[in-house]
Amino acid sequence: MAATYRTHMSIIGDILTTTRDEVPDETGASVTYLIRKANISYGRISKILETLVQQGLLEQTNSDRACKYKISSRGREFLQAYRGFREFAETFGLRI
Amino acid sequence: MEFVLEIILNLVGFGVGLLIGIFAHIGFRNTGSPTLFRLTIAFLSISIGFGVVGLGYMGDSFFIHSGKIESGIQTLGIGIQTIGYFFIAFSHGIKSFFPKSRYLKSIVVPLFIIPGNSIEHIIRSISFILLVYGTIETIMSYMENRKTSTIFVASGLGLLALGEFLGWYSVVFPKSVLYVLSISTKIVGLGALFVPISKVPLRGMKFGGNI
Repeated sequence: MAATYRTHMSIIGDILTTTRDEVPDETGASVTYLIRKANISYGRISKILETLVQQGLLEQTNSDRACKYKISSRGREFLQAYRGFREFAETFGLRI
Repeated sequence: MEFVLEIILNLVGFGVGLLIGIFAHIGFRNTGSPTLFRLTIAFLSISIGFGVVGLGYMGDSFFIHSGKIESGIQTLGIGIQTIGYFFIAFSHGIKSFFPKSRYLKSIVVPLFIIPGNSIEHIIRSISFILLVYGTIETIMSYMENRKTSTIFVASGLGLLALGEFLGWYSVVFPKSVLYVLSISTKIVGLGALFVPISKVPLRGMKFGGNI
């Protein structure tokens, strides 16, 4: 079976989906949790999380001396739009 | 009457292509996805191509009154559409544009050789091949994801290919109904492309472009 490579956008989609649907508690998801769920290296996820926080798609919270991440309302809207555009590309048999 | 029909059909093609192109552009602006960028170029090119031919007919109808479109404008419009078809095929990645089998080569090569006396017909044959390639790739995607919307897109690309073939074949019967049939088939093809896209929720949201 051929390997399926995830695009940068699909990794972002996975991170946002995890922070929306699979957060372990109300304070948000830790970096370690996101690394395990999104299956991505620490170096790469750090840059992506920084960008998502800067763009206002994720909210950073500090709990028990650890940084945690929660999806913002803007992030929820983005995720909904992203799914629409992913659907659009998939109708052409493509991935965004 | 036929002239008016051709103007209308080309302008419908312009409108449908423009709508899909704008949707792809909104997606590109929001996500920065290269796939959506290529689809934007593809559908805007197809739209502009139809628009150029439509305006060519309108120009003749209102100003020149020769009863036939300037062949240079027709070639230009079809050439611009071909750029769009190239980007649709390119989005799938042209892995094996020319088949290795000599039996298949014998089918593909004449498509380039037979219309060699006219730039317009060379362009049409290239469009046809690109569209057939895009149709086959989309059907293969359907085999994987089994989405009904993908079948609509495959049918749309297939009808565009048929439209190009009919337009190319109309060189044999230049005064026949084949050209109108070709444009009509292409419009139905664009309509089939638009059906699944119209079901996707269109949101004019703007996010940062550096995601």
